[in-house]
Amino acid sequence: MNIRVIKDFSFKLLGYFLILFIIAILVAITGSIIINGLHSITLKMLIENGDTTSGGIFNAIVGTWMLVGVGILFSVPIGIFSAIFIVEYGWKRYNSIVRVFTDVLTSTPSIVLGLFGYLFLVIQLGFGYSLLAGGITLGIMMLPYILRVTEISLTEVPTNIKEAAISLGAKKMDLIFRIMLPYAKNGIITSTILAISIGAGETAQLLYTAGWNNGIPNSLIKSQVAYLTYVVWAGINQPSNYSHQLAFASGLILIITVFSLIFISKYIKR
Amino acid sequence: MPHKLDKIFYFLTFLISIIPIFLVLMLFSFLLYYSIPSIKYNGLKFFTSYYWYPGQVYLPPVNINGILVPYGSSFGILLFLYGTLITSLIALIIAFPISIVVSLAVNLYVNEKFKKLIISLIELFAAIPSVLYGLWGIVYLEPLLSNFIEPAMNKYLGFIPFFSGNIYSGAGILASSIILCLMILPIMTSVINGSILNFSTSIKEGAIALGATRYEMARLIILRGIKIQIFGAAMLGLGRALGETMAVLMVSGSVFNIMPSNIYSPINTMAEALASLLDSAFMDSTGMNLYALSELGLTLMLITLAASLIGRFIVGLGIIRGFTRGEEI
Repeated sequence: MNIRVIKDFSFKLLGYFLILFIIAILVAITGSIIINGLHSITLKMLIENGDTTSGGIFNAIVGTWMLVGVGILFSVPIGIFSAIFIVEYGWKRYNSIVRVFTDVLTSTPSIVLGLFGYLFLVIQLGFGYSLLAGGITLGIMMLPYILRVTEISLTEVPTNIKEAAISLGAKKMDLIFRIMLPYAKNGIITSTILAISIGAGETAQLLYTAGWNNGIPNSLIKSQVAYLTYVVWAGINQPSNYSHQLAFASGLILIITVFSLIFISKYIKR
Repeated sequence: MPHKLDKIFYFLTFLISIIPIFLVLMLFSFLLYYSIPSIKYNGLKFFTSYYWYPGQVYLPPVNINGILVPYGSSFGILLFLYGTLITSLIALIIAFPISIVVSLAVNLYVNEKFKKLIISLIELFAAIPSVLYGLWGIVYLEPLLSNFIEPAMNKYLGFIPFFSGNIYSGAGILASSIILCLMILPIMTSVINGSILNFSTSIKEGAIALGATRYEMARLIILRGIKIQIFGAAMLGLGRALGETMAVLMVSGSVFNIMPSNIYSPINTMAEALASLLDSAFMDSTGMNLYALSELGLTLMLITLAASLIGRFIVGLGIIRGFTRGEEI
């Protein structure tokens, strides 16, 4: 065999080895969390409130969904309407300015967003550690994502359909609400689902905007919220065996939530 | 529908589309506004000292050059800055060859069906919440490192200064870098894979027709053609690694005021220092701790932005977080 073929073959081997190695690590991480989670989780944990060292994680599960809900309510309308403006009305320079600013927003480290949420929402607007402060901070992170995907889905609407609508006498708003948005529906739903999965797994933004609550928050502001990722972080750093179990149980729920959301979104896209 | 409604709708959507711009401006002005007292008080010492001490917040504050600060406080971020840069760079050094070889091999040797599966599996890395990386790091990676990998590295690579010396609990630079490497692999692989796919097929076919092996085609033709995109991918990866908080917070050892002596030493980064110090900063009645942390946040943001925006500009796709979640935008 000549040396060139041997080189080609060894590169192939190296490639296969690295691919298998990386997938093995992925399986190891997800597998260890799922297996440990299954060993730790009990039905009692799912229905009881707790404080990361005792009790359950019911308050954390509910709190996570409440925070993500507020985030979605904040980011989806803003994202969709901004995208409509950019696609239908915006001029080139304005659009590229919006693009740069949303890029900045996505590149911002999550803990810096958390600090901003603390300074602006918690202190300045006086929300305190709360559902509104935590949820909006999450929403700020989701916003550029929703905006971008909606923008792409709206630009993908075929021109001939738009032209047909206009020639039939449709006004701009008819065009947007009856033709373009229904056409872009799948893209918008997919992006929303993925934004939920991103939001459910975030921690750093929430440390200083949501706080922690041993129960369910009773108001939008000035009532702290529990969330799952906090249980993972706080639980594993505590010495007791039970808090480790709580951490793994929360990890299991998180990973199942995130992965199933991703599969749902892939299914919808298809 | 009347024409007037269209106009109202136009202004409404226009106002809403300003919100992202408004948020970024608010973000910068808040960070800057809260940093000013610290910039005035600390000056350049902020970047040249590695000693960070919040001060005795329960004692009466002392007056230094007309500014009230907690007794004994000192704000220097050199250790955090060093930690952020070293962990991200090592992560990049590990992830760089892996992502290139994997994306080349996937395109050269793997059939279409498996290729899609492999790429979407690698993209799943980006979907795992960062606390779960931290959880795995604490429970599995740290013992593995301190019991097997680090002693072996010490023995066989010990002739390199940075690789010799004491081995600690496993939490430290190496553990943080490995976790960061896993977190930036998907975005780098996605971008490099995308640019290989976009690379002109006729040139690739020409190389094969001239008798090149696939490896030669990859090394001589493709790699040279996508050099710039690879650099862009590295910058995007770096941008992600620099700002990562929770996973690093859990596996870095979170040391204060001791500069690391080797790759096994515990470390602290800017993002995790911000996360772990903000709590105690609220106790400080003079507010100087909060101001200093705001300056830390501003510095972190500027460094991260520089890397990410260069990467985005080069790759030119307006890539966002979602790109790594199996969504090729």
